[in-house]
Amino acid sequence: MKTAKFSLAAAALLLALALGCGSSRPGYPYSWNDLRLISSYTAKTACSCLFVMEFDEAACRAYAKQEPPIATWTVDRNAKTVDASTGLMWGARARYMGPKFGCTLE
Amino acid sequence: MRSLLASLALLLAWSPASAPAQTCPASSGFPGAAWTDASAAIAAARTAEIKALEDYMFTLTGTDAERKGIRTDSVVIIQGGKLVYERYARGFNPDRRHIAWSVTKSYTGTLIGVAAQRGLLKLEDSICKYVPEAPSDNCSIRVVDLLEFASGIDWKEIYENQSNQESSVLAMLYGQGHTDMAGFVAGHHRRDEPGTSYQYSTGETTLLAAVAAGALEPTLGAEWPWPALFDPIGMQNPVFERDARGHYVGGAFLYLTARDLARLGWLMRNDGCWSDQRLLPQGWVADSTKVSEPIKKKTLERADGDVQGRQWWINTPVPEQNQGVPWPDLPADTFMAQGHWGQFCAVIPSLDMVVVRMGDDRDSTALDLNKFVKLAIEVGKKP
Repeated sequence: MKTAKFSLAAAALLLALALGCGSSRPGYPYSWNDLRLISSYTAKTACSCLFVMEFDEAACRAYAKQEPPIATWTVDRNAKTVDASTGLMWGARARYMGPKFGCTLE
Repeated sequence: MRSLLASLALLLAWSPASAPAQTCPASSGFPGAAWTDASAAIAAARTAEIKALEDYMFTLTGTDAERKGIRTDSVVIIQGGKLVYERYARGFNPDRRHIAWSVTKSYTGTLIGVAAQRGLLKLEDSICKYVPEAPSDNCSIRVVDLLEFASGIDWKEIYENQSNQESSVLAMLYGQGHTDMAGFVAGHHRRDEPGTSYQYSTGETTLLAAVAAGALEPTLGAEWPWPALFDPIGMQNPVFERDARGHYVGGAFLYLTARDLARLGWLMRNDGCWSDQRLLPQGWVADSTKVSEPIKKKTLERADGDVQGRQWWINTPVPEQNQGVPWPDLPADTFMAQGHWGQFCAVIPSLDMVVVRMGDDRDSTALDLNKFVKLAIEVGKKP
């Protein structure tokens, strides 16, 4: 009986925790750091420049550049994806989704 | 006889069938697949005016890498339903798409108008009718509140080179909210009751696009912006990007040509009609281009350059916020779509004109909008 009561209390606590977590809402300040944001911005901007605006790679390197220019990116023209990163961490990929939908950040 | 006619008229006025007539106003004409090109005559007759416009808009400062000053990519001027001037630069041409940034918002607002005209949505409806995943405490937000940037959602519209972690718009487009942008926006807490305050927000219009999807996608399918609006006004090759969940990024990620953007302006100039087809409810354009109520009550953050209409900037002062006339040299009825880096679509009904400019002004203070449109009017106005 004692165990059952304990279990009930534990279950109630877990439920409260779960509800608490469930109601966690987005708001500023947000969690992503600058490097991660810059990788995402670069991947999406370069992808749209190449496949939606249809500029060549040199033009898109200038277009997508951020100050300070810490992000690097590569394009896979067969897969129609752009991978960007800032250093070794914080990679991001944008993928071309077709002639109406352009690029989407994965 | 006279009294019989009078009662007949009364009867007609009463009858539900006589509810707002869906007529379209007289127009100077609409383009088919291409705009009718009347630029040769203007080029011959307005050489001085064209030089003044081009000296201002197409003179680059410094090298491309420096990204300084006015960096115009395209200017297109429509008068009387015809293309009277266009010029491109920096690799752009009539067919190459350009990012619209916040000009996208005026398209999204217009798509809501299309849904209303089709009877698929009412402005007073809760957003939860169309976006069921919104948390229940945000169901008090109505469609009209999003149109007027008045949801009350606690949001910070801050762009690059500022405090990135504080920026709700960067978090939505590129950060923790990017895979489900509509859900990210709807999930925020509110700081005000809906309809009581104004806060410019790319998030709010992206949520508005999800509302439009809820209304239009069931009948039109996943590519609903095309049959709803892009195809009827003859846009040639727009691209509307989506997040990983398939929400159109209605606040920022439309790509289109200057000629296609001029078509939205021309729809608005013609009271929401395209040829004889009424795409937007009668009165929609008027309601979209007057000062909305929430902005008079309380305005946050951006004291200057607020969107006073429903997803349209208008040339009307807001004395309640100590805002003067935005463009003193332009006709009072001028209204505009505007976007980051210098995207503009100005509609001037009294001159039967639309002026489009797309650019890559990384310095947002470089261009004097009032001066540019004034110069464009001198080039394109009716002789």
